[in-house]
Amino acid sequence: MSRILRIAFTIMACWVLAGCRDASPSEPAPSTIRLQLNWVPEPEFGGIYAADAAGFFRDEGLQVEIIKGGPGVAAPQLAASGRVEFAVVGGEQILTLGEAGGELVGIYAIYQDDPMAVMVHATSPFASLEELWKSDATVACEANLSWVTMLNEKFGGASLKIVPHGGSIALFAADSNLAQQCFVFAEPVALEMQGVATKVFLVKESGFNPYNGVIATSAAYAKANPETCAKVRRALQRGWERYLKDPAPTNAVMAAMNPAMTKEAMDIAAKRQQPLIESPDTERLGLGAMTAERWSNTAQQLQRLGKITTLPAPEEIFLWGTSAPR
Amino acid sequence: MKHRSLALLPPLIAIAAALLLWEIAVRAMNVPAYLLPPPSRVAVALWDDRAALAMSTMRTASATLAGFLIAAVLGIVIGSLLSTSRRLERGLYPLTLLFQMVPLVAIAPLLVIWLGNGIRTVIASSAVVAIFPVIANTLSGLRSADPHLDELFTLHHATRWQRWFKLGLPSAVPSMLTGCRIAAGLATIGAVVGEFVAGFGGASAPLGIVIMTSLREFRTEKVFAAVALASLVGFALFGIVNGAAHVAARRYAA
Repeated sequence: MSRILRIAFTIMACWVLAGCRDASPSEPAPSTIRLQLNWVPEPEFGGIYAADAAGFFRDEGLQVEIIKGGPGVAAPQLAASGRVEFAVVGGEQILTLGEAGGELVGIYAIYQDDPMAVMVHATSPFASLEELWKSDATVACEANLSWVTMLNEKFGGASLKIVPHGGSIALFAADSNLAQQCFVFAEPVALEMQGVATKVFLVKESGFNPYNGVIATSAAYAKANPETCAKVRRALQRGWERYLKDPAPTNAVMAAMNPAMTKEAMDIAAKRQQPLIESPDTERLGLGAMTAERWSNTAQQLQRLGKITTLPAPEEIFLWGTSAPR
Repeated sequence: MKHRSLALLPPLIAIAAALLLWEIAVRAMNVPAYLLPPPSRVAVALWDDRAALAMSTMRTASATLAGFLIAAVLGIVIGSLLSTSRRLERGLYPLTLLFQMVPLVAIAPLLVIWLGNGIRTVIASSAVVAIFPVIANTLSGLRSADPHLDELFTLHHATRWQRWFKLGLPSAVPSMLTGCRIAAGLATIGAVVGEFVAGFGGASAPLGIVIMTSLREFRTEKVFAAVALASLVGFALFGIVNGAAHVAARRYAA
């Protein structure tokens, strides 16, 4: 390699690496706020698209760009590193990424109860997670999940076979003995529409019930822009209120963006997810609410399972209280 | 012996320099470890989990070896069959090209449906991506036999088998080995992708599962550790093929 090439390469490498730096609070706020989804447009983001369509972000003086996600999108890292201002992440991810040095702060929790579930075919002999976990069945799920470890502790699970979960329902449909992880309102609905009946067991029955669908931002951004965070939260609350009342118009918008899910399936899913979105806490504190008690509980469980070593102070991982209760 | 160790020096220096540059750049620019860990952290991850990672590597290595052997044997057989007739070659060669063109990541989930979860799918995935270079190189090697000798064999009414064994094979061995060298690297990639979709989890999960799990837990240094070990499997297989090539070269040296 010639010397010039070598120098050019070094400069290029430095430039690429420089882009990997942590978001610094001193950076001027960009005019457009990017909100990264962790999956394709589906009812789990219904309130976000409803807020966008109804102009609730605009009402707050914000210009928000919703970025679609999909399998493999690294939403937590994107938000923690400041590539996007906000991202939808799992509550558990805020804690585990924190352990790895990425600081995220949750500002809104779509799901008060975790929609994570395990589905089996309707013809399956298993009637509960406990029965399934004490059997030698094959379960397609991501390896080393916290709730899997939790269930193993509770029910044994030594003869259970855990196989990878590629996110496809074709495999499940083809094998009547397979159990598979799912979101309670997503895959089972899609399967029903293909004529495959299922039984679904919510994972929260295991006792592990983190917030999910959490809109999070980097700690640096939350510190520098508390006003923007409050505005985003307000717009999300109005969006979700609207979506819960009448999901159909937003579902039509999302179905156009996601050919894999019909509007009909989205209408069913929207109805099924509602009990996970509304809770006594949201009655009291407003939609999207989070409490220090719930966060501490999840953190302690993760610590006990060996997923994290240090317990963060709740105020470091979530922001709530700047918005008035309903 | 002295010659060979000296020959290893330049690549070792280059690798050490690259690692050093990586370490310095990541530290100087304060890149968070979950985005890009310095090589020292990767080394620590390798050492901390050495027992489990060794098991994982063994599992991936055995699937890779099986996939590679299937690809090598089947590839040489198919390549030899195609070389027996121009018409057969013209008809079937494009079909074998399919193995090269097929997007493995897309068909891997189908392999799971056909073969079930576990090592069978992983081996199949490995063999599918590794077979084409063996077929192609075997075919071109067999075709490159000296035409004069070919006429001589015809003159003496040699059987097909004699023609393959005594004429084709000696001239084709170097290209067969070239095909196998390419297949060695591909077989590793195929096995890891197969593990993504069909590997069993648990205590001794194969490298593909370790990569997926570590990604989800934001343990980027462990992802790099597993990727390094997967590359090592490929290098080792490549080394074995190279060793076989040396032996063969001595045997078939003109």
